[in-house]
Amino acid sequence: MAVIEVGGLTKRFAGLTAVDHVTFTVERGRVVGFLGPNGAGKTTTLRMLLGLVTPTSGTATINGRCYADLVDPLHVVGAALESSLAYPGRSARNHLRIAALVGGAAPGRVDEVLEVVDLTGAADRRVGQFSLGMRQRLALATALVCDPEILVLDEPANGLDPEGVHWLRTLLRRLAGEGRTVLVSSHILAEVAQTVDSVVILDRGRLVTESTLADLTAGGTHVVRVRTPRAADLADLLTGQGADATVVATDRVEITGATSEQIGTVAAEHAIPIFETTTEAADLEDVFLRLTASAERTEVTP
Amino acid sequence: MTRLIHTELLKLITMRLTYGLLGIAAALTSLFSLLENSRAGTSGTGVSPISTADGLRTVTTVTGFAMLLAAVLGSIVANGEFRHSTATQTYLATPRRARVLASKAIAAISVGSLFGLVAGIISTGVGLIFVAAHGDHLALSAGTLIGHIAGAVVGAALLAALGVAVGSLVRSQLATVIGIFVWAIVIESVIGGLYTSIRPYLPYTAATTLAGARLGGAAFGPAHGLNGGSPLPFAAAAALIAAIGVGTALIASRTTLRRDIT
Repeated sequence: MAVIEVGGLTKRFAGLTAVDHVTFTVERGRVVGFLGPNGAGKTTTLRMLLGLVTPTSGTATINGRCYADLVDPLHVVGAALESSLAYPGRSARNHLRIAALVGGAAPGRVDEVLEVVDLTGAADRRVGQFSLGMRQRLALATALVCDPEILVLDEPANGLDPEGVHWLRTLLRRLAGEGRTVLVSSHILAEVAQTVDSVVILDRGRLVTESTLADLTAGGTHVVRVRTPRAADLADLLTGQGADATVVATDRVEITGATSEQIGTVAAEHAIPIFETTTEAADLEDVFLRLTASAERTEVTP
Repeated sequence: MTRLIHTELLKLITMRLTYGLLGIAAALTSLFSLLENSRAGTSGTGVSPISTADGLRTVTTVTGFAMLLAAVLGSIVANGEFRHSTATQTYLATPRRARVLASKAIAAISVGSLFGLVAGIISTGVGLIFVAAHGDHLALSAGTLIGHIAGAVVGAALLAALGVAVGSLVRSQLATVIGIFVWAIVIESVIGGLYTSIRPYLPYTAATTLAGARLGGAAFGPAHGLNGGSPLPFAAAAALIAAIGVGTALIASRTTLRRDIT
């Protein structure tokens, strides 16, 4: 069942279309990566979903309702939208006390979430003295304070050091393991690739693709490397069938556009001996870059 | 709604600015009370001796600055959320923005009244010390003096709420703070000085008359000494300020409050 449904969502700011008819859904219990380069419209989309920005057209619902119509919204959705959303003069603990009070969370939750994000030791320090990484953790703690079933996180890895990114991955996996639905945005696929079930990719305000990680790589270019004494013959046969085959050495061919099964069958039909085949899956990051880059080209071409 | 008001109060008491402004209000009230008391009875100052009812009233109702600072606090309660981007978190918790405005106004009323109380007690206290030091008799009844303190509480509370409305309408914190002082000190003095008939209806002037100040007593420059007209009755003055606040809040809820939080 879809808990987040975004349909034809569009936002125009003074002539600039930041989000252009974006449609996607997030199923319950899934961890979805919301990806795209900086300026792709991810933050604006999330802010429309959360009722902070009014869409020019289209809809965005959570559990079938607009954010504004949710009863006790903090118990339904926890959002961490930016690292600087705390009053600098307040301690982390007081910041969370406010979030807990307004959301009606149990009094013990403040200490619990401080523990979850590893900020117990800094709880009574003023937020103004926090590093960017600590603010990110505090923003996550704020999102978690009312124990929501859905989490919306905007670039939570920004400002985290490699250790912090590792910590975030572990936390996201743990939250997913608890059965929560997570929509997490990032401009770096690698940050979330190990955690997400599927991805929604945005570029220049438009939806590029919505798919599972497996489908995303399947849609990418596989390279099959074959070692055979009749490299030239095999290359000719495969090229004749529409694949892209290149003889890279007297006994080696690199083929794209055909699976190893198809290549093996062709070789068997023509009694071409094959000593070795290796299939190299497409690199996720390459697929991501290709998808967002091709959208860019479409934009530029009149 | 109770939870929301508690939250806004918790925000106020965990903000150092609240204590800073209250401290400034107390310090300024003490300073101006001392000045008025030392000036009282001296020729050319226009302040009657504190042995007279008029003189004692002047020196014990120096509560205007505290009321203005309550208004400043009110405005910051509203638009400070934008300065530090905390509005995002606030509206995530309470997407109905008008409810946030209402609870902020109620929280500001509670803390604003404290500004009025502190200023009223200081101003009356300093006046009484001077009366005792001079060995004068008390020219105003205890009931009247307490009434002035109560008026300062009501005036500061209402101006704090009006501050919330103004701060909700104008998101720039600096512009609002400057605007509040310019309005109260310059514009009300000029308009009140030129058209004495309008004077009782000016919100800051009306708030000071609630606290027992002479109509025009809060004005600066030549308008300060200008007499004429009588203040609105207590209830009417309070209702006027409340109405201006509600009107401003309604405009804010139809304009600024609806804007995107980016």
